[in-house]
Amino acid sequence: MLNKKLWWITLIALIFIVGCQPTSGGSGEEDGSKTLTLWHIETGPSEKALLDAVKRFEDSHEGVNVEVVRQENDPYKTKLSVAMGGGTPPDVFHSWGGGWLEKFVDAGQVKDISSDIDTSAYLPSALTPATFDGKNYGAPLAMDIVPVWYNKDMFEKYGLEEPKTYEELLNIVKTLKENDIIPFSIANKSKWPGSFYYMYFAERIGGPELFSEAFNREGRGFDAEAYVKAGEKIQELVKMGAFPDGFNGMNFDTGQSRQLIYAEKAGMIIQGNWMLGTTRADMPAFEEKLGFFLFPSIEGGKGSRQDIVGGVSPVFSVAEKTEYPDLAAELVNELASKKTAQQLANEDGAISAVKGVEYKDQYVKKINEVLQEAEYLQTFYDQTLPPELAEVHLDTTQALFGLSMTPEEAAKKTEEKAKEVLEK
Amino acid sequence: MAGHAKQLTYEDNRHQESEKVYQSLEPGRKVKPKKPKRNGDVMVIFAFMAPALLIYGLYVVYSIGMTFYYSLYEWSGISNTMVFQGLQNYVTLMQDGIFWTSLQNNLLLVAASLLTQLPLGLIMALLLFSPVKGMRFFRSIYFMPFLMSTVAIGILFIYIYDGNFGIINQILGQLGLESWQRGWLGNEETAIWAVIATVCWQFAPFYMILFRAAIVGIPEDLYEAAEIDGASPRKKFLHITLPLLIPTIVTSAILSIIGSLKYFDLIFVMTDGGPNNSTELMATYMYEQTFTNFNMGYGSSISFTMFLIALIITVFILFFDQKRKGES
Repeated sequence: MLNKKLWWITLIALIFIVGCQPTSGGSGEEDGSKTLTLWHIETGPSEKALLDAVKRFEDSHEGVNVEVVRQENDPYKTKLSVAMGGGTPPDVFHSWGGGWLEKFVDAGQVKDISSDIDTSAYLPSALTPATFDGKNYGAPLAMDIVPVWYNKDMFEKYGLEEPKTYEELLNIVKTLKENDIIPFSIANKSKWPGSFYYMYFAERIGGPELFSEAFNREGRGFDAEAYVKAGEKIQELVKMGAFPDGFNGMNFDTGQSRQLIYAEKAGMIIQGNWMLGTTRADMPAFEEKLGFFLFPSIEGGKGSRQDIVGGVSPVFSVAEKTEYPDLAAELVNELASKKTAQQLANEDGAISAVKGVEYKDQYVKKINEVLQEAEYLQTFYDQTLPPELAEVHLDTTQALFGLSMTPEEAAKKTEEKAKEVLEK
Repeated sequence: MAGHAKQLTYEDNRHQESEKVYQSLEPGRKVKPKKPKRNGDVMVIFAFMAPALLIYGLYVVYSIGMTFYYSLYEWSGISNTMVFQGLQNYVTLMQDGIFWTSLQNNLLLVAASLLTQLPLGLIMALLLFSPVKGMRFFRSIYFMPFLMSTVAIGILFIYIYDGNFGIINQILGQLGLESWQRGWLGNEETAIWAVIATVCWQFAPFYMILFRAAIVGIPEDLYEAAEIDGASPRKKFLHITLPLLIPTIVTSAILSIIGSLKYFDLIFVMTDGGPNNSTELMATYMYEQTFTNFNMGYGSSISFTMFLIALIITVFILFFDQKRKGES
C-alpha cells in the first residue's frame, strides 16, 4: 500500500520536475557568451544585407551572439506587442516609427538612443518618425516614397503623356476607360493602398500643413474642407469606374492588384517604390514597361506636385528591458550603417535613409532625385497616427471607396476619434 | 498542536487495529478494507487527472477569470498602467455599432451553418451508403475540404471570387450572366455570403463523418425487421435512421453553434472583417481592438461577452435536450 503511494508520488514528482525544466540551456551565460535577439521582417536581398550587418557585428564583438528572428509582415505588429506586454521583448526590433512606435515609447518599453547614434549621419526627414519629444528612439535604414506607376507601352499606344495636372490625369482615366482598360488597379482589402489616394488628394487640396495642423490639434482638423473634398474626389473616381470590380476585397499581399498591371488589364497603380522590387520578383520581364510619375497637382489647391507621400522602413530600436543596452545600441548602429544602406541600395533598389550612399540602379537614382527635390514628405497617416486613430482613418477611407459613407461622415468620424485620442 | 497530532496517531493506531481484527475474523472476504482502498483509488484517479486538470485550470478556467479581470480596466496590453473603470467597457460595447454588426454576422453564420452544414453533411453521409460503385473514392473526395488548411482554403477562395480573374465570374460570363459578375469579396452586400459559403464548404464534411459514424452504429436488425414489415426506404429513414441520429444531431448542432459563434480564421484570411466592417465577427473585432488598436481591456470585454453568449446558448440546448430525453 505504502509502496504504491510512494511510487505514485515519485512518478508525479518526476513529471513535474521534468516539466518544469527550462527547455533550453538559457542564453548561454555559462560559457561567458552573450546573446542579443533581433526581430526584423525583411526578405530577399534586404534580409541578406541585414544578416551581413549582423555578421560584421559578431565579428567585431567577440563572445556576442545575435539571434536573428525573421517575422512575417502582417503578424509582426501583434507578435511584438505580445512580447512587449509579456515582458520578454527582443533586444533590437524593427518598426516604421510613427504612432505605433510611440505607443511603446509611452509605455516605457523603448530605450532613448539619442546619445548612442550619430544623428548627423541620417537624413533629417528619416529621423523624424522615430523622434519623440526631441529624443531619438530608433535609427532609420531606408525610405519609401509613393509615385504613380504606369504601363509605358500602353500610354504610348493611346497617345498619353505623364500628367502634370489632375485634369490631365482625369483625361487619361477617360481614355483608358474608353479602351476597356481599368485605369487604376488597387487592392484595398489591405486598406492602406486606398489611404494613398486620400493622403494625396488632401495634401494637394489643403497644402502640406493640413495634416500637421490636424495631427497637432492646431488650426484645421480632420473634418476640414480639404478632407471632405478629398473624399469627394475619391468617390468621383469610383463613380467614373476608375477601379476594378470588387477592389475593396482584393489583397495586395496575394498579388491581386499587381496581376492586373502585369496582365495589362489595368494601366496605373499608386504604390510605394517597393513596387519595383516586387515586379522584379513577380515578373521581371515587365520591368521595362514600368514607368512612374508624381501625383499631379490640383487646380486651386495649395499642395505642389513636388510634395510626396512616403515613409521610413526599417527603423531599428532598442528595448528598454534589454540586458545589454550598450551592445544593443552598437548593433543598431551596425544595422543602420552606411555599409548596410549601400548594400540595400545596390541589391534591393532601396532608397537610403543614411547620407552619402551612391546609387547605381537607374530607377533608384531617379526615385532618389525625386526624394531630394521633394519640398515636403507626407509620412503615411497609418504609421504616423496612433494605432486606434489610424484604424479609423483606414476604415473610413475604405468605406469612402465603397461608397458606403459620405465624405462628410468620414471626415466627422475621423475628427471625433482624433479629439478623443489626440487631445487626451 | 502536539495533542492533536497525538490524537491522530491514536486514531490511526485504532484504525489499523480494527483492520487487523476484521482481517483475522474473516480472512477470506475483504469487506471492510474497501474503505482505505477507495482512498487510494481517489489518489490514483486524481493522479491520472492531475495533468489534464492542471492544463485545463491554467489555460481555461484561469484564462476566463483573467479575461474578465482585464475587461474591467482600460489597458493597452503593453504598458504598466492599468486604469480600473468597472463595467465601463461593457457600457461602451453595448453602444458600439460595429459590435452589433459583428454579433449579427455571427448569428447569420450560426443560422447558415445549421441550415446548410448539417443537412449537407447528412445527405453526403447517406449518399455514402448508397449502392453506387466507387463510393470509397467519393468518401475521400467529400472529406477533402476538411483536410485542407484553413489559410490555404482562404487564399484559394480569394482567387475564386476575384472580380477579374476569378472562376466564378468566368463561369457566369460563359452562361451569359454578365450582369451577375462582381468582385464578390469587395462588395459589402455579397462579401459576408461569399465567406459563409466557403465556411460551409469547409465544414460540411466534418458533419458527414459524424453522421456516417452514427449511421454505422445503428443495428442492422432494425432495418431487417422494418423490411419484413414492408417499410419503404423513406419510412425506414424517417422512423429508424432519423430518430436514432437525434443525439448526433444535437451534438453536431452544439458544435456548429459554438464553432460559428467564435469563428475567426477564414474571415481573417479572406476579408479581415471588411469591407467597411461588413464581415466583421465578434472574434475578428476582438482581435482588431486588442492587437491593432491596443485596447486590451476593451478586447477582453468582447471576449468575455462572446464567452457568455456561447455559454448561455449551450446551457439552453443542453437543457432542452435533457427535457427531450426525460420525455422519451
